[in-house]
Amino acid sequence: MPIRNIVYRHLEHGGDLTALSDYEASGGWKALETATAHMERDDVLYALHRSVLRGRGGAGFPMGRKASFIPKDAEKPVYVVCNADESEPGTFKDRAIMEHNPFQLLEGIALAGYAIRSRHGYIYIRGEYEHQARALDRALEAAYSAGHLGPDAHGPGEPFDITLHRGAGAYICGEETGLLESLEGKRGQPRLKPPFPAVAGLWESPTLINNVETLASVPPIIEHGADWWAQMGTEKSTGVKIFSVSGHVMRPGNYEIVLHDTSLRELIYDICGGFRPGRDFKACWVGGSSVPVLTKEHLDVALDYESLQAAGTFLGSAGCIVMDDSECIVRATLRLAEFYRHESCGKCSPCREGTMWMVKLLDRLVNGEGRPEDVDLLLKVSGRIQGRVLCALADGAVAPIASAVHLFPDEFAEVARNGSPPPTPMIESTAGAAA
Amino acid sequence: MNADQVNAYLAPLRDRYPESRALILPALKYAQTEKGWLDLEDLEAVAEATGLTSAYVESVASFYDRLYLRPTGRRIVSVCVTLSCMLRGSDQLYARLCDLEGLPPEGGTSEDGGVTIQTAQCLGYCDKAPCVQVDVDETEGPVLPDEAEEFLAKVRAAAQPTEVWR
Ligand SMILES: Cc1cc2nc3c(=O)[nH]c(=O)nc-3n(C[C@H](O)[C@H](O)[C@H](O)COP(=O)(O)O)c2cc1C
Ligand code: SF4
Ligand code: FES
Repeated sequence: MPIRNIVYRHLEHGGDLTALSDYEASGGWKALETATAHMERDDVLYALHRSVLRGRGGAGFPMGRKASFIPKDAEKPVYVVCNADESEPGTFKDRAIMEHNPFQLLEGIALAGYAIRSRHGYIYIRGEYEHQARALDRALEAAYSAGHLGPDAHGPGEPFDITLHRGAGAYICGEETGLLESLEGKRGQPRLKPPFPAVAGLWESPTLINNVETLASVPPIIEHGADWWAQMGTEKSTGVKIFSVSGHVMRPGNYEIVLHDTSLRELIYDICGGFRPGRDFKACWVGGSSVPVLTKEHLDVALDYESLQAAGTFLGSAGCIVMDDSECIVRATLRLAEFYRHESCGKCSPCREGTMWMVKLLDRLVNGEGRPEDVDLLLKVSGRIQGRVLCALADGAVAPIASAVHLFPDEFAEVARNGSPPPTPMIESTAGAAA
Repeated sequence: MNADQVNAYLAPLRDRYPESRALILPALKYAQTEKGWLDLEDLEAVAEATGLTSAYVESVASFYDRLYLRPTGRRIVSVCVTLSCMLRGSDQLYARLCDLEGLPPEGGTSEDGGVTIQTAQCLGYCDKAPCVQVDVDETEGPVLPDEAEEFLAKVRAAAQPTEVWR
């Protein structure tokens, strides 16, 4: 169950790796050097494949498999896009990579670019992360000056560039095709798939899109080998994963652990210090807010993709929001519904109208203006959204709502009769752990 | 802002993108730094610099929360009210901030134009809940409801940045 510092190399080093010399001294850029000097591009691709590294942005698709969909003889330029939109509620793991260990991300993007014969990568960072964007600006400048990026990045005469692109406030720009639209200078509304980005992505070119943490995992995999990574965890959940933990726990923060080795109970109680005296666990959204909620019964689930799926939820972005018994589940669910109503891009009416209705119904319940039938109506409305929309935002909106109704039927019934009790938030200045 | 100024800002970025349309967001964000929001002249300048119509530029700008098409206060205070922050008192903090500025529960701009208070969705600082961001300065937290007055005093006392990035 110990904490590992592989993606968070700065914690192993004992301080920020924002100076190029420090990153180099800690073994940085060796993976790219070795790869470009001694490995064929397809060998890097194969290593990614064998590592079974899965996407850390939410969907968990194996990166090597996705990269292998990129045509090898594309006529158009091929792009790597790093998804640094990090806007999933409860998720703040990429922030620490960009702020404290930015070169590892740049190196990972350059390695991914090498594997798929790309000469240009883009990082799309959410507009609110200007502080992190400036850290990346500085890292890019240093990496260019030292020649790690630019005309000879992939070997003599083999260029690779990285361009940082800032967003301007829209959760939907984290959805990969919404991101591409936004990067192209359009409203960030998702595209119909297929075609998938690997075939026709940025400017209709083959495009590999991966999350910050996924890409920052690539240098250690190339440096230590795919087998080293794959022997951690299980067959389908390999390597280390960062969990962002927030909410009512005593020590919120980012924690990097080997998949499967730790249970949810250990994460919450041992690593994050549990709850205030007199308070008990009530609910948890393990994978960000777009996943079914878990209850006390699920505390012993192992933290890996398959075990969480067997427990009825998803690992998602591993933004683990934890709630104790001081808060009403209906109020918490309403707050999530409000998030999705605000962030629905409005392109599909079931999502646009459905998120609005779910907020109305939940709001009515919380305020004591609900009727017992409203709980069923809530399920009916949510059932009419799924499968009739363009992107996964709508599924993400339904998951925490429908699961809460199913797992807390008595509380929903009680709130339908009497409304939610007044809120009693945890007001404490327990700061997050350093990451 | 005029098209020449926007063009000067975009010049070093142009060879990074195969199409000038991709420069819209960088251009809008830069045009907004002059006074913290975008008026018709700004939209026209961006349109001219990127080779698109100002109607198109406006339709893009209106999609994004952090591009403002109406006047705002000197500083914008965004209070995260998403779940992790709610569990740790964001609603009480937000209510206190609005109260201190004499604003209704929907927030808005203070009478003297000093600050705009608004709610925000998850800012990615849930470990520091409840958290607050002023323009695009680094998000701060935890800011407890009791510290609201002190927080506002600090925001108001700080020098106005020459470029207002939001
Ligand atoms: C509504 C929505 C929001 C998303 N937001 C993000 C995000 O902020 N960051 C991210 O990496 N992926 C996000 N994703 C997932 C991306 O669509 C995509 O699957 C991911 O970037 C692929 O990278 P990965 O395979 O490395 O995870 C989001 C998906 C949806 C449907
Ligand atoms: S499902 Fe919702 S967010 Fe996704 S494209 Fe449709 S309206 Fe937009
Ligand atoms: S919920 Fe407030 S920063 Fe994430």
